[in-house]
Amino acid sequence: MILAMNENKILLNSAPMDEFEKAIEKIENTATSRINATPDNASHGLAKLVLTLIELIRKLVEKQAIRRVEGGSLSEDEIERLGETLMKLEMKMEDLKKTFNLTDEDLNLDLGPLGDLM
Amino acid sequence: MEKIIYAIVASNRSHAKLGDLMKGIQGISGSTLYALSFKGISVAVSDFTPSKFTINKGLAIDFARVIEELSQSVTLLPVRFGTFLKSDEIINQLLINHYDSFLKNLHQVENKYEFGLKVLWDYEKCSEEIRVKVASEEVKAADYFSTSTVYTNYLLEKIKKNRLEDALLKHIEQLIEEVSRHLAQINPDCKFKKMVTNNIILDAFFLVKKNKKDEFIKAIEALKQQQADLQFLLTGPWPPYSFVDIAID
Repeated sequence: MILAMNENKILLNSAPMDEFEKAIEKIENTATSRINATPDNASHGLAKLVLTLIELIRKLVEKQAIRRVEGGSLSEDEIERLGETLMKLEMKMEDLKKTFNLTDEDLNLDLGPLGDLM
Repeated sequence: MEKIIYAIVASNRSHAKLGDLMKGIQGISGSTLYALSFKGISVAVSDFTPSKFTINKGLAIDFARVIEELSQSVTLLPVRFGTFLKSDEIINQLLINHYDSFLKNLHQVENKYEFGLKVLWDYEKCSEEIRVKVASEEVKAADYFSTSTVYTNYLLEKIKKNRLEDALLKHIEQLIEEVSRHLAQINPDCKFKKMVTNNIILDAFFLVKKNKKDEFIKAIEALKQQQADLQFLLTGPWPPYSFVDIAID
């Protein structure tokens, strides 16, 4: 819809356009990366997909862990170990992102009408 | 050569009249648009050889132009750009297989326009206000742990971040309730996407009866007046891109 936007379609605008330009750029980048899939960049695309799924699972685990800490159902030892595990997982993830030259914004999937994965 | 599909069309006019309408509209890259029909529903199609063209933004805009022109005269369900099928026979079969769901969805969007509303805020300012509010409900380490280590401090920061995210989402939920309440009399179908970016907090889509178009625009303008801290971008009318609930397999 944004791709086809022209001035006749704008009925009310009190917003700076640069934010929308960023949103359009994001859509264009997604489309371009789909269109430009080649054997050379396929491994990078695969790494991006795998890391996105790992990051999703890591965030779900983190949310669940925080809920358990807040719920008061863990012992001091368990909390300590949980904190250590989550911290190391996050650091490992940062290393992997650097290795594959990916940013936080890259680690997402556009699920069309369902919105973004994260 | 393949067939590119533009839209599913309610053809409650004769096939000849629909054909005349399509003759007046060019398909993408100058191709000839035509209709394949079954019991009052048609598919707008043209021949297309993907390997001869670069699939790019220009082609996508041209595709949207075809849907826009068709939507001026008929009720339709836009099809996602890049939907190719091998032959007219396969398309006819698709029409037969999905007939009931096409009919139901066409009825849902009949005589309606889609409008898009993007709502922006100043992320830094607004999130700071919410941060201050969350901080007033202070999260203390002592509530969860008796010792303070690098790991428990890490968890504490995560708890604080989690609470802030929950508060931001709650704030957006309240805005959605406010928008829905404000538009209750117009009663559009609505779809909302939250936190598209840090600054675009809400991307809303409305399906509005054609005779309520002006009333809807005025209602959004009035809503903007009430929400001085927020920025609005209202666009439309669009074909019902966000209200097609059919997956073609």
